[in-house]
Amino acid sequence: MNKKIGVYVCECGPNIPERIDIDKVIEELSSMGEVKTVKRYSLLCSNDGKKFLKEDIEKEELTHVVVAACSPKEHENTFMKVCEEAGMNPYLFQMVNIREQCAWMIPDKEEATSKAIKYIKAGVHRVLFHDPLKQKELEINVDVLVIGGGISGIEASLSLAGPNRKIHLVEKTDSLGGMAGKLSQILPHQGSKIKLVKEKIEQVENNENIHVYTSSDVKEVRGFLGNFEAVVKSNQENKEGIEEEIKVGAVVLATGFEMFDLKENPVYGYGEIENVVSALEFEEMIHSEKIELKNGKKPKSVALVHCAGRKEKGYCSKVCCLYTLKFAHYLKDNLPDVDVKELYMDLCLPHKQDQSYFDQAKEKGVEFIRMDEVEKIKKSGDKIEVEYRNNDKADKVSVDMVVIAPAMVPSQDTSHLAELLNLPLDKSGFFKELHEMLDPVATPMEGVYITGCALGPRNIPESMTQSHATSGKILSSLIPGRKVKPEVKVSEIKEDLCTGCQTCLSVCFYGAISYDPFKGVSVVNEAICRGCGSCVGSCPSGAIRSKHFTYYQLYQEVMEALR
Amino acid sequence: MNDKFTPNIIGFLCNWCSYTGADLAGTSRMKIPPSLKTIRVMCSGRIDPLFVLESFIKGADGVMMMGCHPGDCHYQKGNYNARRRYVMLNSIFDTLGLEKKRIGLWWVSASEATRFAKVTNEYTKEIEKLGPNPTSKEIFL
Repeated sequence: MNKKIGVYVCECGPNIPERIDIDKVIEELSSMGEVKTVKRYSLLCSNDGKKFLKEDIEKEELTHVVVAACSPKEHENTFMKVCEEAGMNPYLFQMVNIREQCAWMIPDKEEATSKAIKYIKAGVHRVLFHDPLKQKELEINVDVLVIGGGISGIEASLSLAGPNRKIHLVEKTDSLGGMAGKLSQILPHQGSKIKLVKEKIEQVENNENIHVYTSSDVKEVRGFLGNFEAVVKSNQENKEGIEEEIKVGAVVLATGFEMFDLKENPVYGYGEIENVVSALEFEEMIHSEKIELKNGKKPKSVALVHCAGRKEKGYCSKVCCLYTLKFAHYLKDNLPDVDVKELYMDLCLPHKQDQSYFDQAKEKGVEFIRMDEVEKIKKSGDKIEVEYRNNDKADKVSVDMVVIAPAMVPSQDTSHLAELLNLPLDKSGFFKELHEMLDPVATPMEGVYITGCALGPRNIPESMTQSHATSGKILSSLIPGRKVKPEVKVSEIKEDLCTGCQTCLSVCFYGAISYDPFKGVSVVNEAICRGCGSCVGSCPSGAIRSKHFTYYQLYQEVMEALR
Repeated sequence: MNDKFTPNIIGFLCNWCSYTGADLAGTSRMKIPPSLKTIRVMCSGRIDPLFVLESFIKGADGVMMMGCHPGDCHYQKGNYNARRRYVMLNSIFDTLGLEKKRIGLWWVSASEATRFAKVTNEYTKEIEKLGPNPTSKEIFL
């Protein structure tokens, strides 16, 4: 087929002719072989202009079109649409920027004109190498993968599940509930014992639209909003190693937190001294209603030590003050003679009920001792001594039992998942939200959301609220029946040139390239590829083509610029 | 032959940050040297080292690579690929008989028109001082 190129120079009102001699441009361009027509128009993006362009393409039976006008960022799509309406493939079109990057940058008319001519000639040479690309449309998948079966993940699953929407809830342990499920009481001023989590777990188990994978890990996640592929690997005894591939439209990360390992810092004596317990162990004692020392006796005095790991980690975990207050209340209510001392750095009591909760603890006789740092917890006869420093003054308390409140740290899976999904972490190792204030549950990866303590320490109501926010985000973007248009300008690999070195796999941040061991070549998954072209620059054998930004297309631009 | 030397400079600009920054420089009517010819690529990670070498072979006097600031890449980390390639290219310039100054990498965001104007003008002056590409049309791939 003969190539017939039409070049259209837009005047953009007075903007372009002021600095560029369009007559000269037309004269230069007309002499180019494949250029069938060169025309100028006052305002090509106007309705009249678009009509003119469409009719002229049809009249001249053009196969390729070059428009020299403003920046492609401005009107490339406008003119591509016109080309399509005129029966052309819209990718056989090239936009040349002679306004922003010529007319408006170069005061000298002669210089601006000669640069514009170079740009347009480059565009003409480039468009000859364009391929007719096709825009695909993909159905969106509205199902959701929720990673983490704690209270945040449960709440997100419950609010998202519905007749049209299946939820895949993956939990690494053998049961749902997470950390919240281990708590004896949600703070007493909120009422009853931890029925809430149990009720929620029952709701999940009875919901036919939620598929729960316990003792399972997410091994792979790839894709984009509306089209994710994930591999869930089971670690259950009878199904060990079995992998299941699931397809979803969005991913919610609710991987929660872990407790700071108290053995990391020997000053706490944790694991070495009897009757020095962590907050979680104390929760278990409350749960079994057995507050006892190792020798079976009831403690006569208990020290509650706050802020373990705060200095090491560099942040306040926000919830410890309240749960140690809960412990103090519990002790005072259940062991009336017990002496309770709270050793704190700062008291964090941010919610409206907290102050009175603190005042009541004081009334019950709980002693609050301010300290800068715990210096050493050690055994001294039958007692345990907590040595601390306050304003450079050393002091100590002597008690039967010590309960330590450790900092909340990111769960182990956080960094692994961040790597899988290319998500940023903050300096403490938690996931980083897209914007702390304006977009607190979104991530830079469209379709991947985070909720709960995976973002940092927070309490149960805050985690629940965030789960609802995530659900809102997902429900408003994954609407059944809606289609997504995947990127057209993706990379493709020529099998006969690929040596299978897999360099491209290491530079692709989207996991769009995989290796086919049977053919010995790398393969691009077009649904996942975003078209950045990083792989193209990395390929030592030149086997990868970045559609619409191919080597030959860009080469023409380089050549024309240097001619 | 007293004509002032006008260099031929190729700029590879990423679509999302630097090209938009360049557009903004135009919109703000900043003066940019006409010797710079910009080429739009989707990501600075697309800048094939081959393009840079090819540009020098065909007679470019300088090549500017521009991408988003670290952490701002539209494709997350493509600009880090660009940085590695820049370092790699830089390391072979001595062998090629080219001054290292002839290739540069800058981070220019979509809002940094002033920065775009500053670096392009400074770079052009630098290349004017260096004079024409000494290896032009002498090296082959």
